Amino acid sequence: MANTLRLYLTCIRNTLEAAMCLQNFPCQEVERHNKPEVELKTSPELLLNHVLICRNEAEKCLIETSINSLRISIKVKQADELENILTKKFLRFLSMRAEAFQVLRRKPVQGYDISFLITNYHCEDMQKNRLIDFIVQFMEARILKQICMKRSLNTRGRLVATEFLKQFI
Amino acid sequence: MASIASHKLAQCITCHAWSPDQTMVAFCPNNNEVHIYRLVEDKWEKVHVLQKHDQIISGIDWSARSNKIVTVSHDRNSYVWNQEEAEWVPTLVILRLNRAALCVQWSPKENKFAVGSGAKTVCICYYEQENNWWVSKLIRKRHNSSVTSVAWHPNNILLATTSTDGKCRVFSTFIKGVDSRDSGTSLASDMKFGEQIVQLDLCFSWAFGVKWSPSGNTLAYVGHNSMIYFVDDVGPSPSAQDVAFRDLPLCDVLFVSERMVVGVGFDCHPMVFTADERGIWCFSRFLNERKRAPSSSKYGSQFSEAFGKLYGQSKQGVSNDAIDSTRARGGVHENCITCIVPLRKAGDGNVTRFSTSGLDGKVVIWDLESQADLSL
Repeated sequence: MANTLRLYLTCIRNTLEAAMCLQNFPCQEVERHNKPEVELKTSPELLLNHVLICRNEAEKCLIETSINSLRISIKVKQADELENILTKKFLRFLSMRAEAFQVLRRKPVQGYDISFLITNYHCEDMQKNRLIDFIVQFMEARILKQICMKRSLNTRGRLVATEFLKQFI
Repeated sequence: MASIASHKLAQCITCHAWSPDQTMVAFCPNNNEVHIYRLVEDKWEKVHVLQKHDQIISGIDWSARSNKIVTVSHDRNSYVWNQEEAEWVPTLVILRLNRAALCVQWSPKENKFAVGSGAKTVCICYYEQENNWWVSKLIRKRHNSSVTSVAWHPNNILLATTSTDGKCRVFSTFIKGVDSRDSGTSLASDMKFGEQIVQLDLCFSWAFGVKWSPSGNTLAYVGHNSMIYFVDDVGPSPSAQDVAFRDLPLCDVLFVSERMVVGVGFDCHPMVFTADERGIWCFSRFLNERKRAPSSSKYGSQFSEAFGKLYGQSKQGVSNDAIDSTRARGGVHENCITCIVPLRKAGDGNVTRFSTSGLDGKVVIWDLESQADLSL
């Protein structure tokens, strides 16, 4: 289990390292604009092929690259309803605070749970390896957090149930 | 180490250029200004700030003989700066562009300059004496995407361009009244303005950083697919070579001599390519050998930790952590190198010194004479 996770994250890390070659590039369709090409998709020649890294059917990571921006979308494993609701609430909590994270996208790409948008401006004032570390650590920490939350929720549920059933003894 | 000096001049540098006597450097600190620094007693002092553009400046070139600076910017304008006593006086160039200008270079004779643009055109600008301004002639409808780099052939007529459609093209830029018929080679002087001499369709990705060799016999450019292309006999039947390398793609190249090319780019380490006696090009080595430290990445289990690192680094700039990581990478530059400029001595064909600048805000001067194993 831990080993496959490590491989998955290493693969993502290596792909990001190769993909994160971004430069300042003004829009060639709209005058005096400079927007992430991966979002606007105005000129097909400025986009690269996207890379999909799958750990299994439920967990995958889509990396889309353009000349001045990079979009990473992550789909998270949701085995049961509890995991589903935990993931949804947790990622919503983060997405609402997207400004504080700088590279987080407010809305995930369709079909994914959370998306990051990295532009050339991020690469200019942050170190590239730090950015990649952040993404990978985010993914790893999220999994741990999810296990942790699930466990505490179960413990709490059991406690509440015990307390509730005590009155019938 | 082949780098002899490294100066951190700004947070981030998009491009730079040297004055003819190489005592001053002009660079754009990733905004709408050009800063000119002068070396005074081993310290860089800011002497001028050129403010006229209103968006980020994408290209600077300082002419060696006439001491003029040309700047182009994403605001679609270009200015030629002339030094009059202590001040730099700008002259607007009528580029007639409706998209950002991306790159600029003076022609060898310094009577013209070329501007590549996001409007998929190239402007050839020349001075019109009677109107006292710089006018431009456009090469239209040839490029299918933005023009990322331009390079002048030593004969002052031919111009090579690279574009994000992955092609490298060579044009004739003969302008009546500016160029004389006998100035160019027979190939170039027959051509009309804007005529395409050759289109090289070698690269499958974006092409950047085109340069001619000092004699004008070889053309080199790089692709975003981590390849570098060398083209001999530019004309009706060119012969091309491509060299793939395993590291991140290059942004710009420089011919040090006929047989040696230095490339810089996303890998943060300048790469040296050399040609053997038969003219076969290959990757030689990195200019500063990297010392690969074992990667001891500690995995934090908290968001806050990872986020805190990232955030703190971006706001404070230099922390202890940042220094650690640069040592691990073992390079002089810590971020993508975007610009490489030769430091020419007068009357010397070969370049032994050059400077690079990158997104880490450093201008680094390199000397190849101190490299024993790199013979020009």
